[in-house]
Amino acid sequence: MLVRRISQFFIVYGAGIGFLLALKSILGLSDYVIPGPLDIWTTSLAVVNDYLYDVLNTLGVAMIGQILSIIMAFSIGTAARKSSWIGSFIKAAAYNIQAYPIVAVAPIIFILLGDGFASRLIIAAMICYFPLLLSVVSIMSEPITDIEHFYLATGRMRWQLEIKIRAFENIRKLTTVISGSATLAMAGTIVAEFIAANAGIGHAIRIALYQSDLSKILAALFLIGIFLSLYQGTLEWMGEKIIKKWVILDPEEIP
Amino acid sequence: MFLECRNLGYRYPRSSEFVFQDISLQLNTPGFHALFGPSGVGKTSFAKLLTGDIKGYTGEILKKENAIFLYTYNQERLPGWSSIGRHLNKITPPGMADLCQELVETFGLDPFMNQKFSQLSLGQQNRINLIRYLLQDFDLLVMDESLANVDERSKENIIFKIKERFPDKYFLYISHNLMEVSKFSDMILVLLKAGKQPQTSLIKGLNIHRNDVINSQELDAVLLGIMNAC
Repeated sequence: MLVRRISQFFIVYGAGIGFLLALKSILGLSDYVIPGPLDIWTTSLAVVNDYLYDVLNTLGVAMIGQILSIIMAFSIGTAARKSSWIGSFIKAAAYNIQAYPIVAVAPIIFILLGDGFASRLIIAAMICYFPLLLSVVSIMSEPITDIEHFYLATGRMRWQLEIKIRAFENIRKLTTVISGSATLAMAGTIVAEFIAANAGIGHAIRIALYQSDLSKILAALFLIGIFLSLYQGTLEWMGEKIIKKWVILDPEEIP
Repeated sequence: MFLECRNLGYRYPRSSEFVFQDISLQLNTPGFHALFGPSGVGKTSFAKLLTGDIKGYTGEILKKENAIFLYTYNQERLPGWSSIGRHLNKITPPGMADLCQELVETFGLDPFMNQKFSQLSLGQQNRINLIRYLLQDFDLLVMDESLANVDERSKENIIFKIKERFPDKYFLYISHNLMEVSKFSDMILVLLKAGKQPQTSLIKGLNIHRNDVINSQELDAVLLGIMNAC
């Protein structure tokens, strides 16, 4: 799975570079607009160490932001699963707030908290949080009648059991949503770094943008893609491990 | 009085048509009773009204005070995270372990206790589901197609066991199998399509027990009675 994900990234990245070089060749663009393959290669070698550190820095923030958003989404999402007043209120609030672009709020966070770690973390967590919350609310508020009926009829149902049943029955959806949210967390962190941060690969890309250095940007994109693929692949692998351990399926159901 | 329905009627939410109407009946004798009728006449809705699983009916349902009515159906599932044996241990009330073991053996499920619910056949799934309900505290148990996909011999054995082990309890068995309803049930409530008058018919079944010999003439009479009522 991890190998497949990385090889897919190589194909997409290679196709992207090929497209840019084809464009350069067809339109006769200068090296200043789209650098040649040799320039991309030498620039990449020159910046790889710095960018590696920047990507890891960004990934670290994204991972912490994602963990925070998962904890928040599961806490709020399970509270909102009930069709009570508070549940409906949380659901309505979540739907309304997620419709508002978080990036537009980012400058306020930077003004209040400065351009350090906390601002990047909060923006990453917020961008990751709302889609995750909507998925968790939608999964957790759907009763699994075939299983829950017995516990309800016999007065054995507890909120912990209800959550366990619904999480178990939707474990594939949940693990997919969590691994998918890694992209959102990474995107959120990079967006935050674009706006005003003082570290991270987004910050490095912003500097390269001011220098109009496409080679540096391409090198940064390569490292982002590789590490994001690794991270998502690891999350998917962990998800599969959890599914295999917790859910015993028919042998033909095991991928 | 154990159970009495007076002019009971039910409409699906946001529907103007009654599924059934003006059903009146009394149930005062414990035993294995049946609810029979063609598909769509509202057998399940009627049963769920009795057990309180659905509301919004017209008429009255009077129950014996503190009587516990449970409803079980054939598509229920056990949680998949543990084996069925472990699940049964968890939901078996104190002092009922022997009964649990007895039922597991009678229902032919002893070899499968270490398996998970999804690994069982449909008939085995229905049997294990029924066992867990039989272990609970109840006065009336509605068994909605609870023995579907179970072979005839096992089904017969299970029903006889229920009759022997729970003589003071009320059972309401919903099935489309005319023969088994006629043979095993004490009272058969035949539910007819909306608009027919009367909308129900109460027929006495053979109510056979283990080792009883079936009188074919009596059986024919019951079958004919049900067919005529329908």
